[in-house]
Amino acid sequence: MIRSLVLSMVVCGIANAQAVRGEQVFVQSCSTGYCHGSRGVGAGAPRLAARGFDQNSIRATITNGVTGTSMPSFAKSLSRTDLAAVVNYVSALNGATATAAATAPVKLAPQAARGKALFSDAVKSFGRCATCHEAGGLGIAVAPPIHDVPLNAAALKALKTPRVVTATIAGESMPALVVAKKTGTITFYDLTMPPPVLRTEPPAEFTSREESTWKHSDVIGAYSDADLTPILTFLRAVK
Amino acid sequence: MRTLAFLACTAAFAQTGAPALNDWSSYGGTQYSWRYSALNQINTQNIKQLAPAWLFQTGDYAENLHSTPIVQNGVMYLITARLQVFALDATNGKVIWHYRYPSPAAGLPGTHADFIQNRGVAIGDGKVFFGTKDNFMVALDQRTGKEVWKVSIDDPKQCGCNITGAPLVVKDKVIIGGNGGDQAHRGYLTALSTKTGRVAWRWYVVPGPGEPGNDTWKGDSWRYGGGSPWLTGSYDPELNLLYWGTGNAAADFYDGDRVVAGANKGAPTNLYTASVVALDADTGKLRWHYQEVPDDVWDYDAAYEVLLMDREIRGQMRKILVHMNKSGLTFVLDRVTGQYLSAFMVPEVYNWITGFTEDGKLVGRNEPVLGQKGNFCPSTAGAKSWNSMAYSPRTGFIYTPTNETCNDITSNATPASEGKFYMNGEFPMTLPPGRTTYSHVDAFDPVTGKRMWSMPYRLMLLSSMLTTAGDLVFTGDPEGNFFALDARSGNKLWNFQTGAGHRGAAISYSVNGKQYIATTTGWHQTVVGGAVARIFPEEEFRLGSTLVVFALPEGTR
Repeated sequence: MIRSLVLSMVVCGIANAQAVRGEQVFVQSCSTGYCHGSRGVGAGAPRLAARGFDQNSIRATITNGVTGTSMPSFAKSLSRTDLAAVVNYVSALNGATATAAATAPVKLAPQAARGKALFSDAVKSFGRCATCHEAGGLGIAVAPPIHDVPLNAAALKALKTPRVVTATIAGESMPALVVAKKTGTITFYDLTMPPPVLRTEPPAEFTSREESTWKHSDVIGAYSDADLTPILTFLRAVK
Repeated sequence: MRTLAFLACTAAFAQTGAPALNDWSSYGGTQYSWRYSALNQINTQNIKQLAPAWLFQTGDYAENLHSTPIVQNGVMYLITARLQVFALDATNGKVIWHYRYPSPAAGLPGTHADFIQNRGVAIGDGKVFFGTKDNFMVALDQRTGKEVWKVSIDDPKQCGCNITGAPLVVKDKVIIGGNGGDQAHRGYLTALSTKTGRVAWRWYVVPGPGEPGNDTWKGDSWRYGGGSPWLTGSYDPELNLLYWGTGNAAADFYDGDRVVAGANKGAPTNLYTASVVALDADTGKLRWHYQEVPDDVWDYDAAYEVLLMDREIRGQMRKILVHMNKSGLTFVLDRVTGQYLSAFMVPEVYNWITGFTEDGKLVGRNEPVLGQKGNFCPSTAGAKSWNSMAYSPRTGFIYTPTNETCNDITSNATPASEGKFYMNGEFPMTLPPGRTTYSHVDAFDPVTGKRMWSMPYRLMLLSSMLTTAGDLVFTGDPEGNFFALDARSGNKLWNFQTGAGHRGAAISYSVNGKQYIATTTGWHQTVVGGAVARIFPEEEFRLGSTLVVFALPEGTR
């Protein structure tokens, strides 16, 4: 019992140190300039957070780079330890920890537990938060992970969503969240109606302009203000 | 009789416009789910010369191959259990494109790590559609195999559900059910736009508060009532109605949570589980329903295929449907109104009811008693497994692989927890005493309910049937035999040892005037396959994942 406790403390210590190092490497090598952005939410280069990437594909991409893009191979420029750390960090951005959280649920206070039930309320079908957000081991990670939880229901309703643009394909305009642009393809979520659809189109058929009439407050109509307060409590508890 | 069948044939074909004779365009052959090919180049006269033309090894050997291939314009679309999709030249197996769906994160809750399965793709609007283990619907470009759209229709971490069935394309929509009836989950059908992937409608099998039928559920049990329609439905374009079978009520073997004590089980109970439903294809609105197993406590899913045909009944041509549920009780309904016409029992061994009335009501229900072991027949594997029967408009017969097994059910009252296993019972499979054969291929006339012939087999039969205008019936067995029977007599005419057990489907198609018969091979060792391995411990069923394609040698007449 004691031995296993000590062992788990050591293992946790190593894991934490690696997580810290992974984030450092990511900040220095990946989120810089026009690349993947803070916490991998995307900038000049594709979004990395919440893309459903598995560890093997992440390792392969970081090690080998992507031919025909500005993504280089980091096999020589990173030490083996740093490479492993950053692979784990990007895996965590893709729900590796969320999955672990789902199998070992944290004990939530009653208000947060109620918020969790509302966040993922199946009766609300596609109107539930979990249609687009992953938190506390539940939900589909369409939006990047939530880091700044709005203070209250009013702030949530006033939420700005600058990443949502207006895309036009074959004459049809729609609210869109772009996740990757590559030679030959552009990948984005079509937010016309929930659930969002991840679409892949040739860039030639895709035009976009900043701003959109899409509002977060329009897609949370299944919830009353009284529902939103415990949901925010839940999001703070699992952040 | 022959004239009658011919009339039925032409009448049915007139409704869809003639189905493309050369193609196998949908999971059930056509949207009528007949698993019938109108090709007759290969027939009872020349079948003995049928020989392998080409093989395709998918390389995905872990979980076998049991999807139904789709063929259109000389290209075959084939999906494996681990969601690799191939477009093949249907004359020689040459790969045109190859797509791999990324593996969901290992251990993702709710995705049934032991339940790796996919039953087929659908095509339409220049795309290839399939569902995934983690509940995405995916559309690929039919020419290139590149992803066009992808959308999550449920969160497997929450619902415990997944998709293994083949979608059905109807006009501008692709329609898909899901698994989850053995979990605490509320089943549904979802229709998506083929063009954009946007959800067009969703129909919940279990009605919510305020909707008709919700009062057939005790308390809040509707939230986790199951009923998942996990296989593929049918469509009548003339009526614009979609037909689908729905799954069992959850919990499977214990009804204390969902049925009020003392309820009249002769009346509809736990709607619309274990039913056939007709939905408006454009809106998903329920047009009519027929519940086959009110208060299902045996896991007698009614999620199986729905065969649409036009037949003369008591002197009048009727638009009918034929539908078997897992119990093997097979219903004939008027598909315009849902009116009950007749029913017949397919398996020889059954004890869950003593019989049924002239108007299709169950008589003498024999239910599991909480906590006490009881032996019930047929087993939850079904008098027929999920693999489809076939219908020939030439003979007027349906062809079905029937199994004679039972199970020892011991039920329990574990409460529901969303997305968690919710069968509430142990149910090891057993063999009925006093028999030496445990399955048979049967031909039934669905109008009279009469068994026309039967071919017994010593083990179980778990592969779909194919019938053709060459008056042949094809299927395979777990020992690797792929064989052809005379559709009129049941006589075995041809056999080929493919080297691995059959748990999938055979199809027929034609390219450049040459008819082909294709079958998937490879045993599946989980779920029913696993149970079969336990009851026949001395047998060794071979795994694999190979498509075997047959044709007549050049010069055969």
